[in-house]
Formats: sequence, C-alpha cells, structure tokens
Amino acid sequence: MPINKAWLFLLLAASGFARAEVPMADMQDEIPAQPKAANLDYFKPRELSEIPKGAFGDKIRKGYQLFVNSQQLSGQYVGNQLNCTNCHLDAGSKAYAAPMWAAYLAYPEFRKKNNRISNFAERVQGCFNFSMNGKAPAIDSPELVAISAYSYWLLMGGLLDAFGMQDQPVPEMSDKALQEGGNVASFKLPGPLTDKVKLDARGHMPGRAFAALDKPAQAPSPARGAKVYEQHCALCHGSEGQGRVMADVPVIPALWGAQSYNWGAGMHRVNTAATFIFENMPLGKAVQLTPQQAWDVAAYMNSRERPQDPRFTKDVATTAKTFHADDNGYYGKELDGSVLGSQAFPATRVK
Amino acid sequence: MNKHLAISSLLTLFLVNHASAVEVPEAAQSCVVCHGAQGQGTSQGPKLAGLTSLYMNAQIEHFISGERKNVVMTLMAESLVDLNVRQQALAYYAEQGTAPELQKRGDTLVQSGAEKLYYQGDPHRSLPACYSCHGPSAVGGGPFPRLAGQQSSYLKDQLVAWQKKQRSGDPDNTMGHIASKLKDSEIQALADYLSAIQ
Ligand code: HEC
Ligand code: HEC
Ligand code: HEC
Ligand code: HEC
Repeated sequence: MPINKAWLFLLLAASGFARAEVPMADMQDEIPAQPKAANLDYFKPRELSEIPKGAFGDKIRKGYQLFVNSQQLSGQYVGNQLNCTNCHLDAGSKAYAAPMWAAYLAYPEFRKKNNRISNFAERVQGCFNFSMNGKAPAIDSPELVAISAYSYWLLMGGLLDAFGMQDQPVPEMSDKALQEGGNVASFKLPGPLTDKVKLDARGHMPGRAFAALDKPAQAPSPARGAKVYEQHCALCHGSEGQGRVMADVPVIPALWGAQSYNWGAGMHRVNTAATFIFENMPLGKAVQLTPQQAWDVAAYMNSRERPQDPRFTKDVATTAKTFHADDNGYYGKELDGSVLGSQAFPATRVK
Repeated sequence: MNKHLAISSLLTLFLVNHASAVEVPEAAQSCVVCHGAQGQGTSQGPKLAGLTSLYMNAQIEHFISGERKNVVMTLMAESLVDLNVRQQALAYYAEQGTAPELQKRGDTLVQSGAEKLYYQGDPHRSLPACYSCHGPSAVGGGPFPRLAGQQSSYLKDQLVAWQKKQRSGDPDNTMGHIASKLKDSEIQALADYLSAIQ
C-alpha cells in the first residue's frame, strides 16, 4: 500500500532521531546506531533486471559488479580479500547492514575522520582505504562513478516503487551529481516526498547504518568471546579468522589477519562489530546470539592483529592517541602482554 | 613438436588415463559399486568426486550417529571404523573430478530463478545467497560441499530431508534453516540448476 509506506517514511523522516552524542575527540566517523523501525520491509530496491539499457544503466551495472566482486580491483585499489558485499550485505541492500540506499541520501555529510564535509563518493573512498585496506580510486574515476550510480539507483528505484511509480525509469544524473549524494537541495525526491524531507532528516532514513544494540551486562571479554567464536564462527571463518578461498576465489571473508580490514576501519570498533554480528551472524541466522555473546565475540575478533592503521604516525602510542583516543577498540591497548597494533600487518599491499 | 615426442606424449596420456581408471585404492574399492570408480556417482549413490575429506568425514560421522538416515550408507559408514582406511578412501574421492568453469558473483546479471537464488539469495526472506557459502559455480570447500554436477534427485532429497527434519548435524542447523525457507518449486529448480553445472 503505497500511501501507508509514504506515511511511514514521512513520519520517520520528519520525527528525526535524536542524534547520539559522539565525543569530539573521536576522530573516527562513527555513524550513530539507529533505533530499529518496526517495519523493516518498507523499502525494496528494484530487481537487477530492471536496470535500464544504455550508458547510464551500464554505470549502474558496473557499480553492482564492483560491489559484489571487488576483488577484480585487487592489487589496484583493493589490498585484502574482502568485497563490499561482505559487510554491506545483500549487495548493499540489507537494512541495518549499512545499506547503500540509505547512505546515498545522507551525503554530503560532515565526516569526523577527516574533519570536513564529504560527499558520497568520498565516503566510499574511506571504505577503500580502511575496510578494503587499499588505495581509493580517484573521485571522478569510472569505479567511483559506477558505485555511486548503483547506490543512487538502489535508492531512487525503491522510492519510485514505494509510491506507485513502478513504470517510471530512474532519472539519469551527471557523473558530478552522482558523486555528491542525495543530501543537497538540488536532489529531488519523488512523489509525496518532493520538498517534504528536510536536509537534516535525510541522514536518518530508517534502516541506515546499524541497529542499536543493548549494552552488555558484563564488560565485553575477549576470553569469553573466544569460546563463542569456537562454537559459532570458526567453522566458516576459520580458526585463525582467515576466511576461506574456494578455487582461488575469496568467498568467506577474513575477520582478522593480513587479509582483513585494517585498524582504521569502522568494523574494528567493538560496538560497530557487535551490532553487525548480533544482527547478521552466523550468516543465515539459524541461531540468535545473545547481546552479551555478540559483544564478547566482537571483542575477541577485534583484539587480534590486522593491517596497520594507514594514518599511522611515529608509533603506536601516538597513533592511538591521535586517532583512537575515545573509540571503542583495542588499538594501542595491551592484551595478554602485547600492545595491539605493534605487530600489525602492512597497512596496504597496494602501491 | 616432433613426431617422436608426439607419440611418446600420446602414449603417456593413454597410460596415465588407463592407470587411473583401475587404480582405485583398496580402501575405496567397497564404495565403487554405488559411488563409481571416479566418484562420479551411480544410480545407487551420489557423486563424491570433488567433495572435501573434511565434509565427507563429517557425513560419515552423521550416518553413524543417526543424524543422517540411510540404511545402506549407514552400514557402510559403520564399517569405516579404521580411521586410516577411511581417510584413504575419502582422500581418493576428494581428488577426483574436474573443476567446473567458474562463474563469480556479478559475472552475469540476467539470471533464471534458481541462478538468482544461488547468486543473490532473497533479501526479503532473509535468505542469503547460496554463493556466500558454496562459492563460485558451487565448487565448495572445507565444510561446504561442492554442489556442482551433483545428481539432481539427490540434491532435492537432501533439501527435503532437512525440511522434514530427517537430516541434521549441519553446524548450528545452518542448512536446515535455509532449506526450511525454500518452496518446493525452488528446490526442484535449484537441484536441476546445480546438477547441470559442469
Ligand atoms: C569490513 C567491512 C566493510 C567493508 C568490506 C566495506 N565496508 Fe563500507 N562500511 C563499513 C562500516 C562498518 C561502515 C559504517 C562506518 C562507521 O560507522 O564508521 C561503512 C560505511 C560505508 C558507507 C557509508 C554508509 C552510511 O550510511 O553513511 C559507504 C557509502 C560504504 N561503506 C561503502 C562501501 C563500499 C563501496 C565498499 C567496497 C569498496 C565498502 N563500503 C566495504 C564496513 C565495510
Ligand atoms: C555459516 C557460515 C558463517 C558463520 C557460522 C559465521 N559467518 Fe560471518 N560471514 C559469513 C559470510 C559468508 C560472510 C559474508 C557475507 C556475504 O558476503 O554475503 C560473513 C561476514 C562476516 C563479517 C563481515 C565481514 C568481515 O570480514 O568483517 C563479520 C564481522 C562476521 N561475518 C563475523 C562473524 C562472527 C563473529 C561469527 C560467529 C558469531 C560469524 N561471522 C559466523 C559466514 C559465516
Ligand atoms: C550400497 C551403496 C553404497 C555403498 C557401497 C557406499 N555408499 Fe556412500 N552413499 C550411498 C547412498 C545411497 C548415499 C546417499 C544417502 C542419503 O541419501 O542420505 C551415500 C552417501 C555418502 C556420502 C555423503 C555424500 C554427500 O554428498 O553428503 C559419503 C561421504 C559416502 N556416501 C561415502 C562412502 C564411502 C567412503 C563408501 C565406501 C567406503 C561408500 N560411501 C559406500 C550408498 C553407498
Ligand atoms: C550460511 C552458509 C550456507 C548457505 C548460505 C547455503 N549453504 Fe548449503 N550447506 C552449508 C553447509 C555448512 C553444508 C554442509 C552441512 C553438513 O555438514 O551436513 C551445506 C550443505 C548443502 C547441501 C547438501 C549437499 C550434499 O552433498 O549432501 C545442499 C543440497 C545445499 N547445501 C544447498 C544449498 C542451497 C541450494 C543454498 C541456497 C539456497 C545453500 N545451500 C546455501 C552451508 C550453506
């Protein structure tokens, strides 16, 4: 029922969520976790088969392909064995797994990681540099245009459908506009949303980022987490968190070690990982972990060594002080007699 | 290539092929009647070629514990008490077969119903893509069985067995949970699609 959906969206968009306080000293741009909306199913991107023919459609298709098989950029822009879809599940369409449709509407946005406003394509660059332990393609590169086009298409197609405009094609946009994102006045939302959704509400589309997870009763413990890992994760992700390659193709993502995200990535924070794990793991969710288990296993996984923070300056202590002072992570902290970050793998394998 | 070389390489090829056709290790000989000399499968038993030893060993244990039910295979499994013999038989079958042509996620976009489920899953049912665990062209690896080229009727029976709670032992009921979300028509389509991957 399109009208109900419109209502839901308007209501949620207009009410605006109270933004969680982010400590100023935290140089990482943590997106506040969102309270979970009742109707998770209100937004459905279009089918891939509906991507239009022609040059604009080709950009969207390329974006999808890079998103699900980022390894085609291995050694060039990607320095580990991950694909975007490993974290942004269902090819970036899953609510509360930082979906691209909700993200697209939120940019340009103030980024604490580099203390400036960044547009959508720049935010994607961040995930190349940190989550993919690589070196981001240029802002106007075909790769970033394609990923932006795909994200825009996920958003716009889903909105058109939600308001009964299934027969309308997703309007084409220039490469320049695609890089910006939907949080600019010139970006027109369709149907009843036109001129209704204020700019500061656009970062709060229900389903964005991750769902808020209850604080654990006990402080997260890597030791308890090791047991959860052994029981519920090791079979798939490997006893050393190394993931699994099949016929030379990385399939199950690495959780730590040389082939995983680096110490600067959002997933290295225990709170971010805990909510991701609680909502999405074990994949397929035949069992539901308790919040405590999710926090514990996140603490375990994020207290193993991984590639160095690419912002590394001078030494671990200085880097920790500059970039990790208030984040909920283990970088620079001592565990079992060794300081995490001191044995890190090379920051990136990409030259 | 000179003539002499051509003849000698032909000869080697023949000898090698010929040798491998008869050289089923003793440990695996009792399996041949149902699973075939190269593990290609027969009307009496599924294909084993290309499954990992790790996966197959887990299944032998499941037949013994009753988590998987099949009269003949349970008897066979119970006879494999000597772990050395068991490993030799499984290692032999793991090495058989040829890799399918690899199709990675994103290689093609217009896909049949089954291919779409395999490569994209169905987010609206929280059904992950089979690809996420079974890999490109369903080659499998480690605890994840190869599905490519497996007999269609066998694949279908397994998914139905999970639905009816007649097969268990999969870690955290992962596959049972996934199978429970599939419609009958999807099971048939997936089984046909997977068995046709060469
Ligand atoms: C290791 C997991 C991981 C991988 C791989 C990954 N990301 Fe991210 N990404 C995250 C996390 C976690 C966040 C949220 C960041 C935060 O809260 O600091 C995020 C945020 C984003 C955002 C902003 C989302 C929002 O709502 O503001 C975009 C856009 C993005 N990623 C794109 C990508 C692209 C494109 C790729 C592949 C090139 C990629 N990511 C790979 C974990 C990952
Ligand atoms: C049945 C196999 C399976 C199990 C069990 C499993 N995962 Fe995963 N996990 C996956 C797959 C596959 C992906 C990538 C999803 C995709 O590409 O669609 C993934 C993705 C992840 C990611 C994001 C990618 C990355 O490299 O950071 C994290 C974190 C994660 N899993 C943690 C866990 C934890 C912790 C557990 C145990 C509580 C667990 N997983 C259990 C299969 C599994
Ligand atoms: C009399 C026929 C028969 C013989 C002999 C036999 N099997 Fe089986 N095997 C089967 C059947 C039938 C199944 C499928 C059972 C089912 O449907 O669950 C099976 C299943 C299996 C499986 C599980 C395959 C999968 O994909 O999960 C393994 C592993 C296996 N057999 C190994 C062996 C080994 C090793 C031997 C020899 C030591 C052997 N079998 C001998 C009939 C046989
Ligand atoms: C989260 C990981 C995961 C996903 C996703 C997944 N599987 Fe599986 N699958 C497994 C595991 C693990 C096993 C082995 C179970 C065992 O050890 O008994 C398995 C086994 C199977 C088997 C039995 C094969 C045999 O030789 O007996 C079939 C059939 C199968 N899967 C089909 C599918 C299909 C079809 C899909 C997609 C709809 C799918 N799987 C998605 C993890 C997964």
